[in-house]
Amino acid sequence: MTETVLEVTDLDVDYNTGEDATHAVRHVSFTLEQGEFVGLVGESGSGKSTLGFAIAGLSKPPAVVTRGRILFDGRDIASMSREELREQRHGGVAMVLQSGMNALNPVRSIRNHFRDIFEAHGHVDKRHWDARAAEIVGKVELPPQVLDRYPGELSGGMRQRVSIALALSLEPQLMVFDEPTTALDVLVQHAVMNTIIELQKRENFTALLISHDLGIVLESAQRVLVMHEGEIVEDATARQILKKPKDDYTKMLLSHYADPRGEVVELPGFEDRAARAKTGAKRADAAAHPPTVSPRERRTDQKAIVVEDLVKVYPPPRRGEREVRAVDGVSFTLEPGASLALVGASGSGKSTIAKLITAVEKPTSGSVKFGDLDVGKLRRGQFRSLHRDVQMVFQDPYSALNPLHTVEYTLTRPVANFTKLRGQDARRRVLELLDIVGLSPVEEFAAKLPHQLSGGQRQRVVIARALASDPQVIIADEPVSMLDVSLRAGVLALLEDLREQWGVSMLYITHDLLSARLVTDNIMVLNHGKVVERGDTAEVLRHPKDEYTVKLLDAIPNPRKVA
Amino acid sequence: MTSVTAAPRGAEGKAKSVEDDLPLQTDSSGRARQTTLFVLRKLGLFVLTLWAAVTVNFILPRLMPGTPADAALAKLAQNGPVSDATKAAIEAQLGVPTGNIFEQYVSYLHQVITLDFGVSYTFYPQTVAELVSTALPYTLVLVGAVTIIAFILGTLLGVLAAWKRGTWLDALPTLAGSFASAFPYFWTALLLLFFAGYVWRLFPTSGAYGPTATPNLSFAFLGDALYHAFLPALTILITSLGGWILGMRNTMISTLGDDYVTFAEANGLKPRVVALRYAARNAILPNLTSFGLALGGVVGGSILVERVFGYPGVGYLLFNAVTNQDYPLMQALFLMITLSVLVANFLVDILYGVLDPRTRR
Repeated sequence: MTETVLEVTDLDVDYNTGEDATHAVRHVSFTLEQGEFVGLVGESGSGKSTLGFAIAGLSKPPAVVTRGRILFDGRDIASMSREELREQRHGGVAMVLQSGMNALNPVRSIRNHFRDIFEAHGHVDKRHWDARAAEIVGKVELPPQVLDRYPGELSGGMRQRVSIALALSLEPQLMVFDEPTTALDVLVQHAVMNTIIELQKRENFTALLISHDLGIVLESAQRVLVMHEGEIVEDATARQILKKPKDDYTKMLLSHYADPRGEVVELPGFEDRAARAKTGAKRADAAAHPPTVSPRERRTDQKAIVVEDLVKVYPPPRRGEREVRAVDGVSFTLEPGASLALVGASGSGKSTIAKLITAVEKPTSGSVKFGDLDVGKLRRGQFRSLHRDVQMVFQDPYSALNPLHTVEYTLTRPVANFTKLRGQDARRRVLELLDIVGLSPVEEFAAKLPHQLSGGQRQRVVIARALASDPQVIIADEPVSMLDVSLRAGVLALLEDLREQWGVSMLYITHDLLSARLVTDNIMVLNHGKVVERGDTAEVLRHPKDEYTVKLLDAIPNPRKVA
Repeated sequence: MTSVTAAPRGAEGKAKSVEDDLPLQTDSSGRARQTTLFVLRKLGLFVLTLWAAVTVNFILPRLMPGTPADAALAKLAQNGPVSDATKAAIEAQLGVPTGNIFEQYVSYLHQVITLDFGVSYTFYPQTVAELVSTALPYTLVLVGAVTIIAFILGTLLGVLAAWKRGTWLDALPTLAGSFASAFPYFWTALLLLFFAGYVWRLFPTSGAYGPTATPNLSFAFLGDALYHAFLPALTILITSLGGWILGMRNTMISTLGDDYVTFAEANGLKPRVVALRYAARNAILPNLTSFGLALGGVVGGSILVERVFGYPGVGYLLFNAVTNQDYPLMQALFLMITLSVLVANFLVDILYGVLDPRTRR
C-alpha cells in the first residue's frame, strides 16, 4: 500500500524581473508516493531546478510561486512562513544541491556541519552527536575520520557524499537530488549514483532525482517526469518511457542516446562511421548543404604531429606530498586529416597533453614535433608559427568568449593576427567563418554578443575562432560536454565536416566515449598519464581489453541497460 | 539502433567507498604540527622581511652623494665662506662615517637593535628614541584603537545591511557610510573642531591632555586623555567606517549567494547561524587584507588628523621632522612605519590561519 507524500497541483513559478515575467514552471501537477524513486529530466532552461527548489521551499526572489499548491504532509509548502519551513526540514523535505562540491562551508569542519544541524533541530541528544554523525557518514560509505576534515581537504566525490549525509541527518521523508553527480568525474559519478540508489532502498525515503541526463535517470528511477519549457510533457514509468515514449520531446531526447559499444552507432543527422566509410559517402547533412565558400587549396604541405615518450611531472601540490606524473611516457602520431580520441577520467593527463602540444606547458622529457618544429623547445616569440596551424576548442563555451565583445570582434582578432586580411577582406573572412560553422544569417550573428547566443551557438563561435587562422590541426578539449544532449550531435557533425571537407586533423579529448566513437578513427585510453589501450575506435570500444577501459564503459549511464 | 545487453547493475562489484585515495591518515598530532609549522613559517618570513627593510633603510641614505654634514656645510657656504672651526663643529655634531661600509652596517644594526637613533636636530638635545617613545603610545591608542573599533563596528553593520538587504537597515548605514567617507579627513576634522570645539565648547581643541595634567597612569589623567582624544577619534571613525560597511556588505552579499549558504538554509539551520557562522564568517576573510593594510597605516597615516588637532603623536612628529629636515628622526620614524606594516601583516597572516583552514597548509 502506498501513501502520497507530495502532491503538486497546477503549480506556476515565475521569475519576476521588472516588466516581463518569465514563466519558468507552468501548470505542473504530479504526486510522489512514499518510497518512490522518481526522476525529473529536462534540458537546461526547462525549469526542472526551479521546480526542485520550489518543492524544497527554497524559492528565492526573483523566483515566485504565483499559482498552485505544493502539498507535503497535508500542508502547503508554498504558503508556509519562514520559521514553519525551517522547522519542517527535520523529517520533511531535504535537498542535495547540484554543486555539492561547494555546498559545504569551507571554514567549518565536517563535524561542525553535523553539529549545526543537530543543534538547529534538537532531534539528537547532545551526548550522541558525534556517534550519530559517524554513523551517518558510514551510510554514504565514508570513514569517520572525514568528520575532522575541512571541505577543502576532501575530493569532489567525498564532498558530495558528505552533502548527502548531511541531508540524510535530517531524517527526511523526501529527498530532492538536484543534479547530484553532474560536476563529478565519470567514474566517481557512477560510484556516487550507486550509493544514492542503495541508500534510497535501505532507508526507504522518497527520492526525486533532477538531471539533464536521461541515461542516469532511467538507470536509477522507477518513474520519470520529462520536463520541457516549464511543463511536464510526460509522466510514466522508466520502462514505458524507454519502450513506448509518447511525447515527441521524450522521443527526441531518447534518440540522442546510443551505446558506444554497439555495432552501429548513430545519432539523429549523424550516420554511422563504418557504414559511411563503406559507401564512401560524406555526411548526408553536409552534402545537402554545401558550404558557399570553396575549400582552400594549400593542403599539400600538411604536417603530422609526432609525440614521442612524452613526460610531464608537476611539483607536489602540497608540502610533503609526492610529485604528480601527469603524463608518463606517451607516444603517438596524428597524421594529417586523421582524428584521434584521447579518453580517460579526470586526472588521466589528457588535458595536459593538449597543453604540451599547444606549447602552453613545456614537457619534462620527451618531444612533441609538428612537422620539423620541435614544440617543446619553442620560445615565447615563436609561438605564432605553431598557433597558426594548431588551434584549440575549449570545453566551456560560456567562459571562452569575452562577454563584452561582439562575435564579429571576437573573430576579427585572430583573422588580423594570423592573416594579412584587413578591413573589408577581414570582414568577408569573418562572415565566411560563420557560414562554415553554420551560423546563418551570418550578418545577424556577427553583430550578436555572447549572451544572446545559446550554448551550441557559442561553441560554434569558438570553433569558428579556432578556424580563423586556417589551421591544420584542431585540438578539441571536451567540446560538447557542457552542451545539452540535443545540441551535441550538431556540434559533433560540424567537427566531422571540417575534417572531411577541409582536411583538418583533430585530436579529440573527452571522457564521453559515445562522442569519441562518432567522430574519431583511432582512440587512446589514458589512465594516470599512461596509455593503457589504443587502436581503432570502434574495435577498442566494442572489444575492450584493458580493465580500465571496461570500467569507463560501465560508468556510462545507458537507458538501454534497463531494458 | 541496436541495444546491447549490458552487465546487470552491481556486477562490477560494490561501489568503492572512497573513490580516490586521498590522504586521510593525518591524525590530530599531525594537525598540531601543521599549525606550529605554519606559525614558524610566517615568523621566519616576518624576520626576513624585517631584516630586508632595515637593510634598505641603511642603504638608501648612502646612495645619496655626500654626508649630512656636507649638505649642511653647502647650505652655509651659500652665505659666504665657512670657517674651519664651524666645519669641525658641524662635523662633530652630525657625525662623519668612519670605517668601511661593512663596519658601518654592523654598527648600524647594533644601533637599531639597541634603539639608538641618535639625537634629533629639531628637538635638540632630546634623543630620537625619547621622542618616538613619547609619541608612539598616543598614536597607537588613538589611531590603533579607533581603527580596530571602526573595523569591528563597520563589519557588524555591513553584516546587518547585507542580511537585511533592501530594508532601512541596509539603506541607512550604506548611505550614511558612503556619505561620510566621501569627505576628506581634514575637512571632517575641521568641521568637528569648529562646532564641537569652538562653537559649543564641548571638547578641547588641541593637545593630548590639559595644560595642568602630567602624564601618569592615574584615572584622572587617563580620563583627561580620553577627553582630548575624543574628537580626533571621532574624525577617524566617521571617515573610515563607511569603507568597512560597504566592503563587508558587498562580500557578504556575494557569500549569501554561495551554495553553502543555500544548503545551510535547506538544512533548516537558524537564520542567525546561517548569517553569522556561514555567510559572515566567510565574507570577512577578504576584508582581513584591507584590515591589515589599515593597521599597518596606523603609525604613518595619521599625519593630517594629528596635525589638525595638534595631537602629539607619531604623525605630528613626522610632520615636524620633515619640515625641519630632521634626518635622524625621519629615519627612525620611517623604520617605525615599516615595522608597523610588517607587524600588522604578520598578525593578519596569523589571523588568517586561525580563521581559514585553507591557508594553514
